[in-house]
Amino acid sequence: MDYTKKIIRQSNYWYNDGLKKARIRDMSGAIVSLRRSLQYNKGNITARNLLGLVYYGRGEVVEALVEWIISKNLRPKNNLANSYLQNIQHSARGLETINQSIKRFNQCLVYCRQNGEDMAIIQLKKITVSHPSFLKAYQLLALLYLHTRQYAQAQQALTKARKLDTTNEITLRYMQELTQIRGKKAKKPENKATKKKKKRKKETVEYNLGNETIIQPAHRMVKELAGRFTLMNIVLGAAIGAAIVWFLIVPAVDESKSDKRNKEVLEYSERINSLEAQLSAVTRTLDSYRADSADSEEAVQTAAATAESYENLMTASEQYNSGSYSEDSIADVLLAVNRNALGESGQERYDDLTSSIYPTACSILYESGTASYNVANYDTAIEVLAKVVRMDESYDDGGALLTLGLACLDNGDPETATTYLSRVNELFPDTDNAQEAKTSLEEIASAANQDTEE
Amino acid sequence: MLNYEEELKKFKPSLEVEDIEDAVYQEDLTDMSDLLKQVMDQKK
Repeated sequence: MDYTKKIIRQSNYWYNDGLKKARIRDMSGAIVSLRRSLQYNKGNITARNLLGLVYYGRGEVVEALVEWIISKNLRPKNNLANSYLQNIQHSARGLETINQSIKRFNQCLVYCRQNGEDMAIIQLKKITVSHPSFLKAYQLLALLYLHTRQYAQAQQALTKARKLDTTNEITLRYMQELTQIRGKKAKKPENKATKKKKKRKKETVEYNLGNETIIQPAHRMVKELAGRFTLMNIVLGAAIGAAIVWFLIVPAVDESKSDKRNKEVLEYSERINSLEAQLSAVTRTLDSYRADSADSEEAVQTAAATAESYENLMTASEQYNSGSYSEDSIADVLLAVNRNALGESGQERYDDLTSSIYPTACSILYESGTASYNVANYDTAIEVLAKVVRMDESYDDGGALLTLGLACLDNGDPETATTYLSRVNELFPDTDNAQEAKTSLEEIASAANQDTEE
Repeated sequence: MLNYEEELKKFKPSLEVEDIEDAVYQEDLTDMSDLLKQVMDQKK
């Protein structure tokens, strides 16, 4: 067989192996396989390009560039390495950033050798931010965390490193170291505090009852009581809330309500006062109108009375002047005259007529009235004798008054009788009429007392 | 247990961009074909 073909076949075999590993992110394995492929055939451009790509994937950009440059030199045209190089050249800033990250990484190695772990950690954190695919930075950072016993941070760094290269020996070794350290921690002997913490009541309780051994779960008072405590807390909380509402909120609400009510009451009171004032003013106005109208009415009545008086006076005068008259009829007309409503001349005429007519009229009517009294015709007696008393109260030295009073008394009107009989005593004391009047008054009084006792 | 110092020594400085030219020149491109040629030339 042609050795050339065999060599090429071997190169391709290792290239394929490298490709498989690169696909599953086994970068370290891929690098080994691809280098072997290139050892068989340095002209395996595909293997070289893939090798550069694997280096690039681990953050070793310069190593990648070396492979691609060599690849381009070996095959200037139709080479994928050309596009890779153009891509990197176009992002000059990105390349500069990566270059600075690499320089810082190299500086961190110097810090570490000079016991400057803290500075190195700070720088490496920045590097992992600016160049997140730089595997070596994560690995160095993990080493420093392990050295400074920051195991959680070491775990984080190693996790990221493993994502970049799954089978990297350094990463796996550090992870194993971390596992061992954590395992040792878990297996530490119990100290007193741990023993105390772990001291628990047994979950089961055993005791013998006769020939039998009884095993039952431990009575967990705490769990049972926990539920009750929860309920109690809820009830207590509700009670406190209700108390707060009752003592703080309800009075405030009531106060605001009562304020509102008071304001309404005040407002209504003011309205009532104003309405009362208005009513009072209106009433006063009405009263004044009434008074005015009363005055007016009185004036009207007075005017009517005056007119009537004058008419009666004229009638009486005409009858008197005619010569054919009866004294008692003219006396009736004159009794209807209001002397005060007459003027001066009218009053003179009135006085003339009365002085001429009344004496005769009194005589006639007194006689008629007494006759009516004697026959117990009290109504007629009262009517007639009242006219006599109006014309002349003193007629017959109070006889008219006396008879009138007795007529009223006998007619069942003791009150009016008392008036007339008392008048007799006043005008004509120490007379027979007065004596008779007194007797009658005493009878009236005794009759009244008897009625009261009954 | 990891030896910090020993592990640290395993970390070599990474190539910087300025080192590309040197790295390219230093790259050993000898492959199997070249070795076979050398062997055949020696036999001659």
